[in-house]
Amino acid sequence: MIEIQLIILLILVILGLIFSYLAILERDLLKAVGFSAVQAIAYSIALYILMAPDIVLAYVAIAVGIYTALLVFVVSKTTRYEVV
Amino acid sequence: MKKLIPLIVILLTIFGLAHYIAPKLPPQTELRPLGEFYLKNSYFGEYSAKSPEVVTSILWDYRGVDTFFETSVFFLAIIGSLTVFRLNKKEERLAKQKPKEFTGGLTLVVKSVTKIIVVMILAVSASIALHGHLTPGGGFQGGSALAVAPLLIIAAYSKYALEEHGLDKTRALILRSIGLLGIALVALVPLLTGGFIMQNQPIFPAEIKGQLVSGSLIYYNLFEFLAVGGGFTAVFLLLAIPEKVFKEILGVGE
Amino acid sequence: MIAFIWASVILALIATIMISLYGIARRPNLVKKLIALTIFGDTANLLVVLLGYRVIYPVAPPVLPYLSREALSQFVETAVDPLPQALVITAVVIGMAVNVLIAVLVIQLYRLYGTVDVRKIGERLPALLEGGEQ
Repeated sequence: MIEIQLIILLILVILGLIFSYLAILERDLLKAVGFSAVQAIAYSIALYILMAPDIVLAYVAIAVGIYTALLVFVVSKTTRYEVV
Repeated sequence: MKKLIPLIVILLTIFGLAHYIAPKLPPQTELRPLGEFYLKNSYFGEYSAKSPEVVTSILWDYRGVDTFFETSVFFLAIIGSLTVFRLNKKEERLAKQKPKEFTGGLTLVVKSVTKIIVVMILAVSASIALHGHLTPGGGFQGGSALAVAPLLIIAAYSKYALEEHGLDKTRALILRSIGLLGIALVALVPLLTGGFIMQNQPIFPAEIKGQLVSGSLIYYNLFEFLAVGGGFTAVFLLLAIPEKVFKEILGVGE
Repeated sequence: MIAFIWASVILALIATIMISLYGIARRPNLVKKLIALTIFGDTANLLVVLLGYRVIYPVAPPVLPYLSREALSQFVETAVDPLPQALVITAVVIGMAVNVLIAVLVIQLYRLYGTVDVRKIGERLPALLEGGEQ
């Protein structure tokens, strides 16, 4: 029965991999912040699967809420597009 | 679509490598002896913290000094960001004035929803922090949930609405200082009766009027809750000052 | 099957760490470097939590369900290791405070230099150090 949990965990981790890849390559920084928030949601569900309810409570508030707001502040105070 | 080719290569490499290293990397099924010690001792047992929540009892009792110094790192990081944005009294008054083109935040729907949700967030964060010794949660989790509430008000109304109702940067800093001072005092209390720094049992009472409070854990959780929430709120109040005002104050740019 | 999925999870996390290290090292924008740094920190935290997990069924979080001694032995048989979780909680919150400090410094750099591109900042730095106007 543990296979189901492990498969969900694998899917979530792969989702985190895909969205962090997209966030790193994206030129528009606001879109990159959005991709990074999706990665944070995937990781918070993964932490729930890993039986860490304490960390989930802290991680959801920080990585999805505060951290995204902080980056939106930073992008609005500096430049929006990355020049490579 | 050209972006996706390296991604597919990475995924194929992962699964290919996993096929080879899987026999050499058996999944862990046993507990480590240290973890077993904590699980057995947190409520029952000789070295008890009188808390059914093992993570919180490790955080503030068994590994208390570690968390104490992590809190000092938190203190230094917040103080560092406040120092970079330092303002004197006259500039602070300038930053509190509404600019002329200020329109009043988002629409009525968002504002009404925010009013309800902020109250709910405050209640939930206090519940997370104060039940931290019984259920999953604690000071760090409750404090970071508390910091979301002022952030929502800043987004839906403005930072001026928050300051008009009495929560400005100084008040947030006072809240944070009360929290940090409380943690330091609770850590030093056992020295008065001949214990060690951050000792929990048997110096603090485990139950008050039949309610399980787990000794010092509830005090640490309460003060850490105030410290984390107040610290993040102070930083976000400074970050919400419009960039135009700052350029005027610093005298840079156009 | 279980061993294969377990190995894939660990390898996927290591690949995410590699990608975020690429972002920290090779992207010129400071805000992008900050995003990559937080992805790096989150992935490292997840790897630490993975160290304490037990691949058994049923598995339970490290919170005592009942306050009775009879339930304790069954609890110890199913619960995961609590120590990595306790270390990660402080790491998540304190890492956030350090990220706030970095973000504030990025904003201050933008005010002083007018750009967040490290290459341009590097070009302007010698002129500033000599005391002349840029």
